[in-house]
Amino acid sequence: MKPFIKIPLILYFLLLLTTPVDAQISKITFAPQWIPQAQFAGYYAAQDMGFYKEAGIEVEIVHPSANIQATALLASGKADIISLFLVTGIAAKIQGLDVVNFGQISQHSAILFLTKKSRGIEKLEQLNGKKIGIWRSGFDEVPKALIKEKGYNVEWVPILSTVNLFMMDGIDAMTVMSYNEYDYIINCGVNEDELNVFPVSHYGYDVPEDGLYCLRSTYEKRGPELQKFLKATLKGWDYAAANKSIAIDMVLERMKQAHIPANSVHQAWMLDKILEMMDLSNKRAARGELLESDFLKTVKILNNSIKSKSNFTFTEFYKPLYK
Amino acid sequence: MKKTTLSYHIIRNVLLFCIGLFLVTFSVYYYFTRNTIRETTRENAIFLARNTINRIEEVLSPAEKIPEIVAKTLESEFLSKDSLIPFLKSVLSINNNVYGSIIAYEPDFFPEQGTYFAPYAYRQGDSICSSVLGDKNYEYFYMDWYQIPKITNAPYWSEPYFDEGGGNVLMTTYSVPFHTYKNGARVFSGIVTVDISLEWLTKIMSQVKILDTGYAFLLSRNGVVIAHPNKDYVMNQTIFTIAKENNQPSMRETGRNMIQGKSNFESAGFKSKWKSGKLWINYAPLPSSHWSIGVIYPDKEMFASLHRINIILLILIVTGLFLLSYVIYKIVNNLTSPLKHFAESARLIAEGNFNVQLPQIKTEDEMKELYNSFSYMQRELGNYIATLKETTTAKEKIESELRIAKEIQMSMIPHIFPPFPDLPQIDVFAVLKSAKEVGGDLYDFFVIDGNKFCFAIGDVSGKGVPASLFMAVTRTLVRSISDKEFSPSVIVGTLNKSISQNNESSMFVTLFLGVLDLSNGVLNYTNAGHNPPVIIKNSRESTMFEKTKYIPVGLFEDFEYGESSLQLDSGDKIFLYTDGVSEAENSENDLFGDNAIMEIISGNLSAPPRELINKMEEGISAHVKGFTQSDDITMMTIVYNG
Repeated sequence: MKPFIKIPLILYFLLLLTTPVDAQISKITFAPQWIPQAQFAGYYAAQDMGFYKEAGIEVEIVHPSANIQATALLASGKADIISLFLVTGIAAKIQGLDVVNFGQISQHSAILFLTKKSRGIEKLEQLNGKKIGIWRSGFDEVPKALIKEKGYNVEWVPILSTVNLFMMDGIDAMTVMSYNEYDYIINCGVNEDELNVFPVSHYGYDVPEDGLYCLRSTYEKRGPELQKFLKATLKGWDYAAANKSIAIDMVLERMKQAHIPANSVHQAWMLDKILEMMDLSNKRAARGELLESDFLKTVKILNNSIKSKSNFTFTEFYKPLYK
Repeated sequence: MKKTTLSYHIIRNVLLFCIGLFLVTFSVYYYFTRNTIRETTRENAIFLARNTINRIEEVLSPAEKIPEIVAKTLESEFLSKDSLIPFLKSVLSINNNVYGSIIAYEPDFFPEQGTYFAPYAYRQGDSICSSVLGDKNYEYFYMDWYQIPKITNAPYWSEPYFDEGGGNVLMTTYSVPFHTYKNGARVFSGIVTVDISLEWLTKIMSQVKILDTGYAFLLSRNGVVIAHPNKDYVMNQTIFTIAKENNQPSMRETGRNMIQGKSNFESAGFKSKWKSGKLWINYAPLPSSHWSIGVIYPDKEMFASLHRINIILLILIVTGLFLLSYVIYKIVNNLTSPLKHFAESARLIAEGNFNVQLPQIKTEDEMKELYNSFSYMQRELGNYIATLKETTTAKEKIESELRIAKEIQMSMIPHIFPPFPDLPQIDVFAVLKSAKEVGGDLYDFFVIDGNKFCFAIGDVSGKGVPASLFMAVTRTLVRSISDKEFSPSVIVGTLNKSISQNNESSMFVTLFLGVLDLSNGVLNYTNAGHNPPVIIKNSRESTMFEKTKYIPVGLFEDFEYGESSLQLDSGDKIFLYTDGVSEAENSENDLFGDNAIMEIISGNLSAPPRELINKMEEGISAHVKGFTQSDDITMMTIVYNG
């Protein structure tokens, strides 16, 4: 045997000896609500840096596809934990999926109304009577609630996932995420000074977004593991915030594996914005905590937009594990 | 100062001029050649871009026709619902570039079909398959290929995408809206598409070869990189993310121009990880899809030929300048080498070697003229020196004779002091300093009959040998006449007669002649045109004799001279002198003057004769300050000691 084949073998056996074989280690499958991108950098960091393992859990990350949503993965048992927008989480529970929120990661809304300056829309009220592109696949409740509250009459144009209709001037405005579509449009050659933005948060709709969800049964059975998961995830986010370029590389690696077009510029932008969403400086919440006021605000929005009303309380919906 | 050579000066000046000329010529050449290369490259780039665009359009343009024809056909409602799939299949079978085609209808267009109805034909391997698309999971109404042409009511080339079902190939879709008539009104009814694989596009783009590392790339309408030699960029990056990643705002501007359908040839400094350095880019839009093609020319390679020529030129010019310096050095050395010999010859001639060999000059030029002048100088100097030798010999002879004459002259006048040691009544001291070898001044004194002291001082007109001869004659005559005569006027008158006769040369002599009776101190004297002497009475006061009214001796034969008389007391002194004293000049032409004489005498009234004369000499020296003596200086002091 050649000596340089020997060495890795020896190392391998040494590794086997030193790694404690823990029969108790529990497996958790986590599904973020969308395909791999920097929005989930904290989870990737926690996984790659071994924070989950340190906490005594083994986490597998699976991603939903265009056809199978995260909630479906949760319902079918293919995922133990999923991340969802708060509004999506509450809506899912209203529609009968017995989920609980056990950690609120994002504390702010990233939703913007975006228009090209060439369309002449300088104020929010000028959206009245205009064609506005909006996600077909969800997240539409908040912007729709704002427009409804203002009493504007707009034509909503459902859009699947691209910004091309906006780029082709097929619509006057579009709802975008500050961390995603907004930068995507900039990266298609539109300059920032050519755009007007109206963040929903400026109009009283600063609704928290990404949070962690599981089935109530899971919470009851595996509470301590969920807590470990939340703690390790927050540690992962701390690492991503401190080591952005490493975190971006982790994201890009996963995007490549999933055959998704990827570039570091956009992912770096996204990571920065996602970290901003987690900022608590003007909020009286702990990290990972969902405030009741945010819950009530979101319930109110949903009660106005969907037919069925919520029939559960804050404590039934939210199980704090951040302490 | 550092010694330099003529060839150094010439080479330096010629080289400086040549380098200046070269720099100007080279700059002009470089500027124009560079411009020409740039212009040629620009034309080449435009041609290349247009050519590539044409090749792409050869596929895209006909592909555009298919859905347009299908749309027209649908609008005319020739086709039944059931014939749509066979129709699409036949369309695919005759258009090899088309990967798939859909006719997607608006919701409930055919009520029996429900919301979704989109017949689809597509290739799978070599066969053409079909299906009907549209359900809850495939809501095509919200897809770009359907929604955008519907809303904008215009055909639409989709952004390229990877088709996951079709082997992950890069695809694009061309969609055309179609209309039908319902109750006589033309209403939008759906979209016809063709899917085109872009594999051929990558091939066409990779076939574009520009210089060594130049390349072509293609951007979609959103600036997404569709084709690029760097595979990592394709579909991952837009030109704007690359610009941001590398912090290059100018690249973003170029990208904006490109997606806005502009064309240009411009320089760009790229500094991405993939490619860096100065580049030239030509970009132009594709008429069909509004994508934009860019062709990149690396500046270094563009001007590589120019730089090669520049290096060759530089080597040639440097070599040329070295050769030029060498040739100039040789020529100048050849031309000037006789000069060195001439310089040597001149030194030898200066050392007195008049027969030195001059360098041989074979040319008939300025050097020959120099040779002629040198040779003339050599000859003339030889002659001159020979003449000079003769003259010097003659002069030396004359000078030696003059020296002898002076000795003879000086021997004629008394020069032993005190002259009369046995005559205590009288003491005399006198000096005669000639301006030239022999002079015209004279003095003399002697005793007649034991108690008569005769003395004379005089100055012959003119100088030199004639004056000295005349002086000798005068002295001899005075001596011979005073043998028999004691009266000064008689002596002078007789002398005048003797001299005036046969005085062909019209010379004359001023003369003061006195006869002192030693027994009683009576001095009789005649002053024939001479400077009045000074009498010092009793060592207390000095006065000048009155000015004479008698003319110098030798002018008129019959002139009558009178005489004067003066009583001397014991201790009285008489100071006599010639005009060489009173008219002694300094460099400013100031004369010594009578006043100075009187001043010196007044300061030394009691001085013995030798001392008084010494003081007078010192006074004269102080006045003339070394200026050349122009006249004989003669002084005599007599003391009567009764």
